[in-house]
Amino acid sequence: MEQNKTTKEILQAKLAGRKRALLYHPDVLEKLRQEFQKWKSNVVREEDRLKWQATPHTILGSEIPREMLYTPLSNPDFDYTEDLGHSGQGPFTRGIHANMYRGKEFTMRQLTGFGGPEETNQRIKFMLAHGGTGVNVLFDLPTIQMYDSDDPLSKGQVGMSGVAIDSVEDMDLVFKDIPLDKVTVSLVTHYPSNTAILFPMYLAMAERRGIPWDRLRGSVQNDITLEEVVRSGPEYIPPPDCFRIQCDNIEFIRQEVPLWNFVTYNGYNLREFGTSGVTEMAVALSNAIATIGEMIRRGHDVDWVAERVAFFWSPASDFFEEVARLRAVRRLWYKIMKYRFGAKSQRSMWMRCHVQTSGVSLMREEPLNNLIRAAYQALAAVFGGVQSLHVDSYDEAYSVPTEEAALLSLRTQQIIQTETGITDVVDPLGGSFYVEALTNEIETRILDEVDEIERAGGYVAAVDRGWLHQKIAEYFYNERNMIEKGDIKLVGYNIYQSPVGLPPIHVFQYPEGVEERQKARLAGLKERRDNEKVNTALTALEDACKRGLNVVPYTLQCARVGSSEGEMFKVFKKAFGLWKPPVFW
Amino acid sequence: MARQIKVLLSKLGLDVHNRGLITVAKELRDAGMEVIYIGNSLPREIIRTAIQEGVDVVGVSSLGGAHLTLGGELIEEAKKEKFVEYVAFVIGGVFSPSDAEKLKEIGFHGVFMPGATREEIVSSIRKIVSGKAQRLQGE
Repeated sequence: MEQNKTTKEILQAKLAGRKRALLYHPDVLEKLRQEFQKWKSNVVREEDRLKWQATPHTILGSEIPREMLYTPLSNPDFDYTEDLGHSGQGPFTRGIHANMYRGKEFTMRQLTGFGGPEETNQRIKFMLAHGGTGVNVLFDLPTIQMYDSDDPLSKGQVGMSGVAIDSVEDMDLVFKDIPLDKVTVSLVTHYPSNTAILFPMYLAMAERRGIPWDRLRGSVQNDITLEEVVRSGPEYIPPPDCFRIQCDNIEFIRQEVPLWNFVTYNGYNLREFGTSGVTEMAVALSNAIATIGEMIRRGHDVDWVAERVAFFWSPASDFFEEVARLRAVRRLWYKIMKYRFGAKSQRSMWMRCHVQTSGVSLMREEPLNNLIRAAYQALAAVFGGVQSLHVDSYDEAYSVPTEEAALLSLRTQQIIQTETGITDVVDPLGGSFYVEALTNEIETRILDEVDEIERAGGYVAAVDRGWLHQKIAEYFYNERNMIEKGDIKLVGYNIYQSPVGLPPIHVFQYPEGVEERQKARLAGLKERRDNEKVNTALTALEDACKRGLNVVPYTLQCARVGSSEGEMFKVFKKAFGLWKPPVFW
Repeated sequence: MARQIKVLLSKLGLDVHNRGLITVAKELRDAGMEVIYIGNSLPREIIRTAIQEGVDVVGVSSLGGAHLTLGGELIEEAKKEKFVEYVAFVIGGVFSPSDAEKLKEIGFHGVFMPGATREEIVSSIRKIVSGKAQRLQGE
């Protein structure tokens, strides 16, 4: 029975014995092999021969060894159609659209969020006025962790590293004068729980403005990995309940907001927390496999669900690894959807993604160097064929970016898009002996790690038991050691340090008075709203949680009548109880 | 042989980023210190636990921007309990250069920013603790 087989076993069984149309003739390869050996012994220096494989040590790298030179021998059974295909054709290695960036530019979606809704609204307008093509809203710590601005736990943190949202009124202010039916909006609701609370506020706002939900376009994150693994917080609900809310969100949004991307499997924050690029993708795919399995169990059609799945990746410093990773995961996702789930729609087999350059690779020392780092990471992402991009700002090892720094990030994207000519040709690195060999290697490694997770009982069990927590702790401790030993070299930090300190940079200052303003607005709302309606809605939500009904229609009703985020999260905690995640060190 | 240094580590408030602090926890333990990690907590709770546990060092981490507000409150709470005289207070996280100065003015004995090495963190904690012990003996 297929249910008992792992994804890797299913793919192996389905792909076994397929006849391959080899690009390289075996006789030619044999001749090449002989010449290659001769070249290696006669031309290559002995020290290079002995160190034929070198392993790049980079921030968040996968430690995959590289040969000194790649040739057709690195990928002898290369089948162009089977392994690559043209762009817009399965397995989509070369890109999900035939014309890629000629048809649609990558969306320039810079993260925005600080202070109160008013300040964030201004910054969003600033970015759009300078050519940004999408909105990407980041929430403050209390909002992300689901506490109201007036909660004792929120003190001193309202409007920090994101925008404060307590109710539908704040959501309305963030999007003041923004045409919701025209721009695409990414709401960085990392967790399933806060997605179930914040997205209904967005929907209630659209209702108030008379915009039908089927005209709303954008995405939420809605990822259990973020809520239960990549988070440090005071209170957690148990992983199975969290996973259920993730699926409830998907079910509701698919049904009611058809153009909205209801899940963005977030490899980014996981990797930034501390994993290799391989684990990042293996975890996101395992979560996606578990989710689609659950949606099928709930009686939904695989294509109905999968057509709106999206991913979020972190391109870090190893340039070719990043390009190859994006190509590899596109091909693997195609195979999973086609062969494991039997998807029929091409769209279901598209690995669509947003990426953000790596935050942890940014250095405090000589911060302008970060502009260069982020630009190369962004370039790798574009070579990798991403749909949407955020470039980190050079000052982020100090604080939230200034307006000037945020603009430079947008300009980085615009320069890649308009000045380099890179976007005129689809998958320009495709066919490189090196890139194709690395793409194959990374695909194999990702699938092996998916297999490891599935053999350990599946994704939710792997989270529940702390398997992933442990793996992360080992990784980042090891990475720190490699940086301290100088194995990972960072310019201006542990190599080529500047003998004289450089002048300080201008750093962002948070606006003042945000916490008081938020508290006053929330107090005003609590006086004006019909508290009886609020209580009824919250009681109905608790009942839905306990009875296993989809929770989103109930959080939506709560949002409509003016319930706050903290009030809804309290209901979740009461209904599901609390869970204590393992901490390994 | 010196007495084992006992350290309490906590994330300040609702900050979600704990990679740095978990790394430091392991590094201090590997350096022979006894480490208690309590996850996310508020100043009053941190001080209460620190008193109960009788620690030598309180280390907090903040990458989300609340270092001055919550960090200030932590030192205030410690002063109320006359705790700040006996115990070393250190903070790590993402701060602007001027905020790092302010944190020292508030009363933090050690301020660590991105890029701080294991050696810097371990040795400066040892130095602060032994400095305090000598001063107290002298009194």
